[in-house]
Amino acid sequence: MLLVLSEEHKEHLSFLPQVDAAVVGEFGRIALEFLRRGASPKVYEGAARKLCVPVEMVQHGVEGLMFLMTESSKHMISEVDFLDSVLVLGFSEELNQMLLQLYLQHHSQIRSILSHLPSSVPAYHNLEWRLDVQLARRSARQQFIPMLTMRVHLTRSDGHSDFNSRILQTDPSTLLHLISTLEAALAAMKTGHARRILRNIK
Amino acid sequence: MNLDCPDWVLAEISTLAKISSVKMKLLCAQVLKDLLGEGIDYEKVGKLTADAKFESGDIKASVAVLSFIFSSAAKHDVDSESLSSELQQLGLPKEHTTGLCKSYEDKHVALREKLRETSLRLGRLDSVSWRVDYILSSSELREVNQPVIQLKLQRQGAESGAPETTVVSVSADKFRVLLAELKQAQVLMNSLQ
Repeated sequence: MLLVLSEEHKEHLSFLPQVDAAVVGEFGRIALEFLRRGASPKVYEGAARKLCVPVEMVQHGVEGLMFLMTESSKHMISEVDFLDSVLVLGFSEELNQMLLQLYLQHHSQIRSILSHLPSSVPAYHNLEWRLDVQLARRSARQQFIPMLTMRVHLTRSDGHSDFNSRILQTDPSTLLHLISTLEAALAAMKTGHARRILRNIK
Repeated sequence: MNLDCPDWVLAEISTLAKISSVKMKLLCAQVLKDLLGEGIDYEKVGKLTADAKFESGDIKASVAVLSFIFSSAAKHDVDSESLSSELQQLGLPKEHTTGLCKSYEDKHVALREKLRETSLRLGRLDSVSWRVDYILSSSELREVNQPVIQLKLQRQGAESGAPETTVVSVSADKFRVLLAELKQAQVLMNSLQ
């Protein structure tokens, strides 16, 4: 699969051949840091000063490089396709090889970062439970009501590391029903229908 | 223990066997400190496992398996001999097992206490403070002349676990009712101790 680069993108990347190879490597590193931690304007300013070019050129160059890397990683482009795609930029062979190396070294990392991006539903993290028996209340003594109290820890949907928790309370018969429903759900994975689908995905 | 042993525990027991039994006892002491909430000194653990050339993955696995063994044993109130025979059946060498069980015996009560404290409790009451005021007069009535109690309850929120404060003001009659009811509840609680 070939990447199609927009005109604007090509213009941004045209900055790259004007600097020497070591700088391109440095830009690659900055682009990856950008992916991991977000942009840092100070780094752009420092680079722009050293190369005597305007800050926007540096910023566009790095962003263009980063976009190239993410698009390639997203589509899992093979080496040959990657080289063909950057051929249209008209860079030197050496520069093309550098870009290819950058891509090959980092594409699995980039894919794992990208896979964390879309927000997901809250997911199960941990469960604490407690079994008690209510013996009396203000209006009624001599009771015997067993209850299970649970606190479910869920990961937050925006991927932050802190957890939501929900408090749930149930009586034993509902609990048994809950358990049997969940076991039925687990057993559904082993039916022929589910197995056929899984086999075809693999 | 009447429990199935998870596969990863079986695998990591063989990792544990690689360090000497003396170092094993010191490692147990560190893991127990962590379980009792005193924190674990990873540098010391690193030094203990350095001879056996544990990598960071092995170190984490050994700490995890010891944590699991101690907390499960305390959870089900397993006695020392059963623990010892169970571990030897799973393949832990005798000297290691003896060291581990001795550490378990020493800290067994403290561990159960700690587990009891950390059990799920919703909205734990942290403190109560009170104040008695005497209302002289108000905008509605020129002479009120009544006592009123202000109660400040500090508790951990049920859902969030963050500290919450509730302030209530109670008139004298209502407070007498509250006190009587709470005393009845206290009698019931004492009868169960």
